[in-house]
Amino acid sequence: MKLNRKAIALTVAIALSHTAGLQAAQAAMIATDAVAVTAADAQMAARRAQVLETLNRADVAQALIEKGVDMDAARARVASLSDAEVTQLADQLDKAPAGASDILGVIVFIFVLLLITDILGFTKVFPFTRSLR
Amino acid sequence: MTGLQGCASLQAHQTRALLAQPPADIPAQVALSATPFFPQSELQCGPAALATVMSAAGVPTTPDALTSSVFVPGRGGSLQIEMLAAPRSHGLVSTRIQPDMQALLHEVAAGHPVVVLLNLGLSLYPVWHYAVVIGYDLPAGDVLMRSGTTELQRLPLTTLEHTWVRSGQWAFVVLPPDQLPVSANEADVTDGRVTFERLAKPAQAAQAYRAALQRWPDSLVLGLGLGNALFASGDVRGAAEVLVRVARQHDSAAAWNNLAMARLKLGEHEAALQAAQAALKRAQASEPRWVSAAQATLDEVRQTLSGK
Repeated sequence: MKLNRKAIALTVAIALSHTAGLQAAQAAMIATDAVAVTAADAQMAARRAQVLETLNRADVAQALIEKGVDMDAARARVASLSDAEVTQLADQLDKAPAGASDILGVIVFIFVLLLITDILGFTKVFPFTRSLR
Repeated sequence: MTGLQGCASLQAHQTRALLAQPPADIPAQVALSATPFFPQSELQCGPAALATVMSAAGVPTTPDALTSSVFVPGRGGSLQIEMLAAPRSHGLVSTRIQPDMQALLHEVAAGHPVVVLLNLGLSLYPVWHYAVVIGYDLPAGDVLMRSGTTELQRLPLTTLEHTWVRSGQWAFVVLPPDQLPVSANEADVTDGRVTFERLAKPAQAAQAYRAALQRWPDSLVLGLGLGNALFASGDVRGAAEVLVRVARQHDSAAAWNNLAMARLKLGEHEAALQAAQAALKRAQASEPRWVSAAQATLDEVRQTLSGK
């Protein structure tokens, strides 16, 4: 009995995997927006990586630890940011004047603010989706 | 992040920097006085702002005509995404510009009125408002807007910055397909073009992509978009010429695939086979998302060849 059930299950599995192949039978033009999404996703992933890289810099991490920040919590917070929030954070970091004497301080401030506002609950980056005129 | 914006807005950093060192590449005063004026009726600043910039871009329209597509009664306002979408079905491209005062002024100096989203209330109790920036006066430190029922509203640049920063400095322009904003980055221009393609006539989409490609000739998405738009418009020969360049430049599976389809339509079966094979090879090597599409195209080309 068990053997028969197994055989049936296997047959069904093979049959289903064959139908999956049949679904993509139509030759077609690949749409621009499909490719754009992939490109945008790659860009988004790169920006996220960029932010995490900055967070993990030895001097940034050191400064944050000195301020009592839990680096695991900070990394988790950055990893949980929405695309829009990552973009805004990355933009803030980019805007930090590169030649400034306290560039490290500016970067640390940005990250600390992110964590503090999270604790206080002011984390909605784009609140205007709620009430519009 | 709202907190960080709040701190910045109290000091109007961007305006102070601008007034301290006025940009050398734009006039000290600009007034796009030919920009039409549509006094808004209650709650309809969105349609009024849209009608203003769309008419300025060459498609005369009125707030009433746009109300049904952008006004959302339940929410008492116009959603940003619908503000961006409305011009597209009228043959105009909407594009976000860079979120800063420099970008805004340069855009206006280029002759393009800009729709800005402002928060006239407080961060905690926002009063959202769409207005159209039509000029500025650096010596006076003012910006000129069409806003609400005021045809020419003068506002200190600092006030604009305060109220605009609270929306993340969200702003966009509406232009004919063959024109580009001066203050938009590649990502926003590409996004504008790609979303335009979904609603626009293919010939207009092609125009839009062509214009953007002049500024960013190495963009895969823009190149593919042009090829696709030409194909959809019936210019298959033109599409093939664009797609072969894009495919070779990027070794893009999607470009090879679409080139194969175009060549098939042109009756160039051997060339279609080459492109289809290149598509599949590339997809299998590094773009698995397009493997089944490339395989289907290759199968069709082979079928056509064997049917000869």
